[in-house]
Amino acid sequence: MKIFRPFKFLRSLLAKYMLIIFLAISIVQIAYFTLAIFVLEIAKKEHGDIVTEAEITSEVEEKWHAEAKNIKNFTDEVVSKHFEKWQERYPKASMFWVGQDGTLLTTLNVMEQLPSKWTPAFTTKFIKERYGGDPFTIITFLGGDESNGFIVIEIPRDVFTPPLKHIYETYGTFLFFGVIAIILFFIVVSFLFFKGIRKRLLHLQEAMEIRDVDGLPVEIDVKKMDEIGQLQQSFNKMVCELRDSKNRELKEEQLRRELIANLSHDLRTPLTKIRAQSYSISKEELTEEGQQAIKAMETSIISIDALIENLMSYTLLMASKYKYEAKEINVLRFVREQMSTWYTVFEKEGFNIDIELHSFENNEWQVDPIWLGRIFDNLFQNVLRHANSGKYIGVKTESTEHYDAFIIRDCGNGMKNESNAKGAGIGLSIVDIMVKGMSLDWDICSSESGTEIKIKHYKVK
Amino acid sequence: MFRILYIEDEKEIGQWVTKDLMERGYEVTWLESGEEVDKHIAYKDIAILDVMLPGLDGFSIGKRIKRENKEIPILMLSARTAVEDKLEGLNFADDYLTKPFHPDELVARVEVLLRRYQKNDDVLELQHLKIFTKEMRIMHTETDEEIQLTGKQFYLFQYFIRHLNQILTKEQLYEGVWGESYIEGDKTLMVHIRYLREKIEINPAKPAIIETIRGIGYRVKL
Repeated sequence: MKIFRPFKFLRSLLAKYMLIIFLAISIVQIAYFTLAIFVLEIAKKEHGDIVTEAEITSEVEEKWHAEAKNIKNFTDEVVSKHFEKWQERYPKASMFWVGQDGTLLTTLNVMEQLPSKWTPAFTTKFIKERYGGDPFTIITFLGGDESNGFIVIEIPRDVFTPPLKHIYETYGTFLFFGVIAIILFFIVVSFLFFKGIRKRLLHLQEAMEIRDVDGLPVEIDVKKMDEIGQLQQSFNKMVCELRDSKNRELKEEQLRRELIANLSHDLRTPLTKIRAQSYSISKEELTEEGQQAIKAMETSIISIDALIENLMSYTLLMASKYKYEAKEINVLRFVREQMSTWYTVFEKEGFNIDIELHSFENNEWQVDPIWLGRIFDNLFQNVLRHANSGKYIGVKTESTEHYDAFIIRDCGNGMKNESNAKGAGIGLSIVDIMVKGMSLDWDICSSESGTEIKIKHYKVK
Repeated sequence: MFRILYIEDEKEIGQWVTKDLMERGYEVTWLESGEEVDKHIAYKDIAILDVMLPGLDGFSIGKRIKRENKEIPILMLSARTAVEDKLEGLNFADDYLTKPFHPDELVARVEVLLRRYQKNDDVLELQHLKIFTKEMRIMHTETDEEIQLTGKQFYLFQYFIRHLNQILTKEQLYEGVWGESYIEGDKTLMVHIRYLREKIEINPAKPAIIETIRGIGYRVKL
């Protein structure tokens, strides 16, 4: 793996960031450098390799001297031709010939005032004035001999402006905008770079928030192997581990449920056998005492059955392993159906049954029907076992400004008074956990004349 | 005589239930495991299955029976009381009774299932009515006249007969007969019950057959 490290580094965001910083530091220089090369190429195309003023002037000077030396016929015509030839090359140039005796002979394009007779003094002054000045002036003897006088060429210095400067002047705006364009390009690249990072980070954050059907985050598709890519990989690994852990937990939960279900099964089987025996005995001829004993046994079997059920549910509830699946149900209909199964039980016990269920403003509650059923079963079981003496069960609805409620009322001895079948109150503990687990509320109001329990569903405002 | 297939591995319980059911007039075939189900199921009217069995469990046996013959009602009789088990059982079975149970309850449930599957060709005698359940013919025993019911009244009464002794809520009745969901406050059902009572009750103002269970619904009790 180590072999690939340098490549890994190149793929990293750090490398990209370093490149951008490097570019930021040197962008102006690079811009100028690039443009200079570009411009130089143009210059080369136009002027060959000579670029500086000195180089050009010395070349012109040499040429002027050489050509002057080569002139053999010192007539006005020949000199004029020579001047015209140079004018073609330097249109702005002015030329004149001063003869051996100081007479101004042939002139071309001379704008300034020149004396027709050149004295040594004027000649000296002229040379002094023009030395290193503008226009660029070359004085040379005609035919390489002072006996033929001298010819002078004056070329304005701007003609010799180096091509770079010249081009700078011509293409200055282009250069300026070119640099700005390069800087803008750099800004855009940096912007896109960070925008890309930002986009990927946001995408990562969004992906982290998406939940699968099992409530766990979804794995992310890793496209690039940079730092964010590695982060995504780690995230995927974490999701994988989380899923494993969840599966393990589910398996444990399954085992636990299975264990409890088996335990409950194993307890109920002998209980059924006891019932079988007691039933068989009850078929025999029995004394009144015997019959009562059998009846007590029957009651105990029912109690133990309910207790086993409650104990199992309570264990699961306390470990938060009791399955909870809330959905919207019509509670009125649900309670009515629930009551239809309990009605016969109460009827058999000779209860006075009073049911008055009115429609609520909203009959749809978000609850787990199995949990709600369990709550009602436990409460009705309590009425049957602890408030049997009152022989009354009332199930009603109540609607107030704040809540809708079901009211279960009995006329037993109340909760403070010991009933014949008082237990550890596990049934009510289950009711409490389940009521709160479904975001409902409940009240118990118990007196010697009976107990009233309200299952309340608060209205959402 | 109804023929019951009963599978139970616990000898004491098996003997007890078999004996009790036979005393009540059923013909019972009791097996200790599901191995020979195929051999016996063909001529049975109902199957009572335990869940925890050696070899194939009750759920698998039940599913297999249902796959082969949908017309055989299945009652699961188990000491497994967890909701998950009940739900799994009721996926295919018609009823689920938990142990320890009372034999009277078992028989009542068996009767309900037999009636629902119309295995029961008995003539029902309901107060002054004689009902031939197979063809749903209703005779008034006092006048010896046949009572003719219109479409919906007929289905409504048939629904009651299939769920004898059960309290049926307004929703259950409406949805069972009309096949649509019940809307709170709808009077259609009440109107039809009134018409039905006018035809079958001696005194519709004091109904003796279709009982009103205040706050819940109605019941026809045998």
